[in-house]
Amino acid sequence: MFSYRVFIFLKFFISFSLIGINSGNAREEIYETPKILNTYGMPGIIDTPTAEVFPEGQFSVSSSIFGGTIRTNLSFQVTDGVTVSFRYSRIPSASGDHSGYFWDRSFDFHYLFNDQTNYLPSIAIGLRDFIGTGLYTGEYLVATKNLTKNIKISGGLGWGRLSGKNNKANIFGLSNERYAFSHGYGGTIHSKHFFSGTNSPFFSLSYNASPRLEIIAEMSSDDYDMEVSTLRGFERRNDINFGFKYEIARGFSVMGKLMHGDAVGLSGVLALNPRNSPYKSGIEPAPMPLLDNKTLMETQSLMDNDVFFRSAELLELDGIILLAMNIDNKFVNIEILDRNYLNVSQMIGRVARILSKTVPLSVEFFKIILVDYQSSYSVSQIIVERESLRKFELAFDGPAKLWQNVEIQNSSSGINANFNLTDSPATWSIYPDVEIMLFDPHSPINGSLGWEATLSYRLRNSTVINSSIKQPILTALDDIKRGPKSGLPNVRSDFMFYYRDISTRPYISSLTIDQYYKPFKNFYGQINFGYLEMMYAGIRAEAIWKDIKKPYGIGLDLASINKRNTYGDFSILSNSYSTIIGTLYYDLQSDWSIQLDAGRYLAGDYGATFSLSKTFNNGWEIGAYATLTDVKFSTFGEGSFDKGITLKAPLSWFTGKKSQVYRKTIIKPITGDGGARLILEDNKFLYSNIAKYDEKSFRDNWNRVFR
Amino acid sequence: MIKTIFFLLLLFCLSCSSDNITRSEKADFYNIYKDIIIRKPAVSLTREKKEAKVYNREWLSKFKQPIILLASEDGENTATLVALGNYRNKLTWVSADGISLSFENGILIATRGYSQDLMEVKYNDLDKLFTQNVLNRFKIYRFLDGKNEYKELTFSCFVKAKKNIYSYFLGLSLKTTKYTEICEAGDIRHTNEYYVLPDTNIVLKSKQWVSEVNGYVIIYNYYAFQNNIL
Repeated sequence: MFSYRVFIFLKFFISFSLIGINSGNAREEIYETPKILNTYGMPGIIDTPTAEVFPEGQFSVSSSIFGGTIRTNLSFQVTDGVTVSFRYSRIPSASGDHSGYFWDRSFDFHYLFNDQTNYLPSIAIGLRDFIGTGLYTGEYLVATKNLTKNIKISGGLGWGRLSGKNNKANIFGLSNERYAFSHGYGGTIHSKHFFSGTNSPFFSLSYNASPRLEIIAEMSSDDYDMEVSTLRGFERRNDINFGFKYEIARGFSVMGKLMHGDAVGLSGVLALNPRNSPYKSGIEPAPMPLLDNKTLMETQSLMDNDVFFRSAELLELDGIILLAMNIDNKFVNIEILDRNYLNVSQMIGRVARILSKTVPLSVEFFKIILVDYQSSYSVSQIIVERESLRKFELAFDGPAKLWQNVEIQNSSSGINANFNLTDSPATWSIYPDVEIMLFDPHSPINGSLGWEATLSYRLRNSTVINSSIKQPILTALDDIKRGPKSGLPNVRSDFMFYYRDISTRPYISSLTIDQYYKPFKNFYGQINFGYLEMMYAGIRAEAIWKDIKKPYGIGLDLASINKRNTYGDFSILSNSYSTIIGTLYYDLQSDWSIQLDAGRYLAGDYGATFSLSKTFNNGWEIGAYATLTDVKFSTFGEGSFDKGITLKAPLSWFTGKKSQVYRKTIIKPITGDGGARLILEDNKFLYSNIAKYDEKSFRDNWNRVFR
Repeated sequence: MIKTIFFLLLLFCLSCSSDNITRSEKADFYNIYKDIIIRKPAVSLTREKKEAKVYNREWLSKFKQPIILLASEDGENTATLVALGNYRNKLTWVSADGISLSFENGILIATRGYSQDLMEVKYNDLDKLFTQNVLNRFKIYRFLDGKNEYKELTFSCFVKAKKNIYSYFLGLSLKTTKYTEICEAGDIRHTNEYYVLPDTNIVLKSKQWVSEVNGYVIIYNYYAFQNNIL
């Protein structure tokens, strides 16, 4: 029976594919396709899926509203075939636990088996809401084919919620009763129900009326069981949805739709692709051109006689500080400090070009030692052959040829003694501060607007006092309705008390003395002492071992801390906690990096955190993490365990100019006490600051050495 | 509420830092929002408005350094570039605002600071371009994508020459040979034009394609006139 049904199913796909006419033609590279998103933020038409994918790397934010339902999705094209989406939805329901609505988080997965060919359609499989409470749970198999350049049809079979109407017997011969499971506290994966129960067909058709406008229609098998049960929802009059998608600008589109003959809705999609920088290779001014020997001698005769001074002057124009210089026969050894370039290869190329212009012709090699601004130690040094730089500057494959003539080494131990900034040791700033908090069912988007003043004072080369004072001026965070969780010491889930008591008062966000060490080659350390974050004060120590030629590193993070007073002043409570966490970092040779943390977390629980990130060589990082500890899911409560999505976006990508600044966002569906750690600023973690100087970082970006 | 909004606006206006880097970063950050509202082109070539400027020998004599003149395809914008780099027949010219163009035998081989930069070029017979009348040839242009990987275009080109074309430079009428190079790489096509002094490799004027984003630039090689080649 099973094989016969599979045969029928395959026949359906094959016969469907034979409708196809050749629509293939040469394509220019497209990085963003906002029109492909459906209301679930996945490839599809309106509600139904299609066997398509977004361009690899596309990151989309979309929001959709109709008939009382709101869906806000973050979607990411992980690889050429895998699409994932995280969603936060408001679902009207007679049994809704928040004023007649459910506020629900869900994750989707979509995999494209093949691209369509002249005769065969593309085929994809998908899982909706496969982690969590399962309000949207469903699975599908779908095929898509372009009949002409402008007409696209899709059809498939859906299970679960996608088999609410027009359902037929399970084609795999499984029971027609959907496998029932308890979702517990949500946040966990259940798989036994996949493709179980009846299945229903769905179809869709789209027509590109113009390059920007797409007219769409679909027959959806979703019965909207919950939504039709309440007046807050809508009436499902038929199976058909109509709509249009219009691309307003590159990466931004809107969708208007009529759902099931009753509800009018609107969606907006914003898509961007880290691979597609708006300023392409950047708009930083061109680097210093290189000269032949004759012109170089003429040029040098017109420059200041002091080689250090003339080099420092030119480097400063590029935002690079020359700390020391020493000419030793054929070598010039320099120590530099750069706070501007995210891309070390590009920075090294510029430094080497300037040295080519300023140092005597007798110098044949440039040894450049990179000193880190924050910690004053050096992680790596690079030796560049002078003649190779000139020879390959404008040659085809020049960077690859130059790479054969450079050597990257681990720097020696110790803190740089020449770190002596000419300006005052104190730096300060005052800027507006925005804090956003998501996923509170009482107020799904919450936040505050205020100011932040920072003051930093460098006591010694490797000792810095850092402080941050904040004051919310306009805030809704002092009215968070949720209370702390029970079952574990409240190490994080009582955060609302801090916001409530601080309200619009100024508070010490952090005030620490940070001491950096490099006692041995490849061994780095720091100690932070003081008010580490809004909720904790104490002492923290971190040690990292990292060889710049190895793709991995190990670390140890220890903290002994006390809870701070909820008013954010100087007072400290008696509740003391400690964490001991060991970490293995591994930079995969592709675009992925992994991190495994294990040890004792704040609430005294033991466990591990696994983090996976896709990196883009340009500062962008998109990743996810999950922490599982010995805390039972029932004790952790809603969400079952700690997990989140991380997003790191570099400023230079948006401006085309050199900058090391980035914004990092962690999207955490639930804040619990299990698996909790200190929440520190990103620059308080040493590894990323060390890894940016390692050989992989140079190698991956070496194509920019002559930029 | 009005007081709060006023205070926030005041705060926004008073935002500052003692650190140059922090200041420029914050300014860049706010400019992103501004640019979203007021869309700017990715890069603009110029910088010198062509306010009925007369390009003649008198104008040229004001320059103490070798120069070339760069113009956008529509001629609306121009920039004067000075020679700042030379190595083995490869000359690099830099504009006041930091765009550089590098040439070998008058043919564009690289740009820097020009948004979608032409990072590398491979010609199979660059030295023969202006010595043979008709030639089928290949060339590879390399650009960088957002991940700092190469985006490579392999052009198949056809070159034809037309002799005895009179061109006007600095008020002079000169007899040149016009070479037209028609290139194709999939959907991407371009047609470069070179006005070459007969029986030499000296390109007096050319229209050359840079990249998909930047399109063409027109290059006037006034250096040839400064050097008293003519």
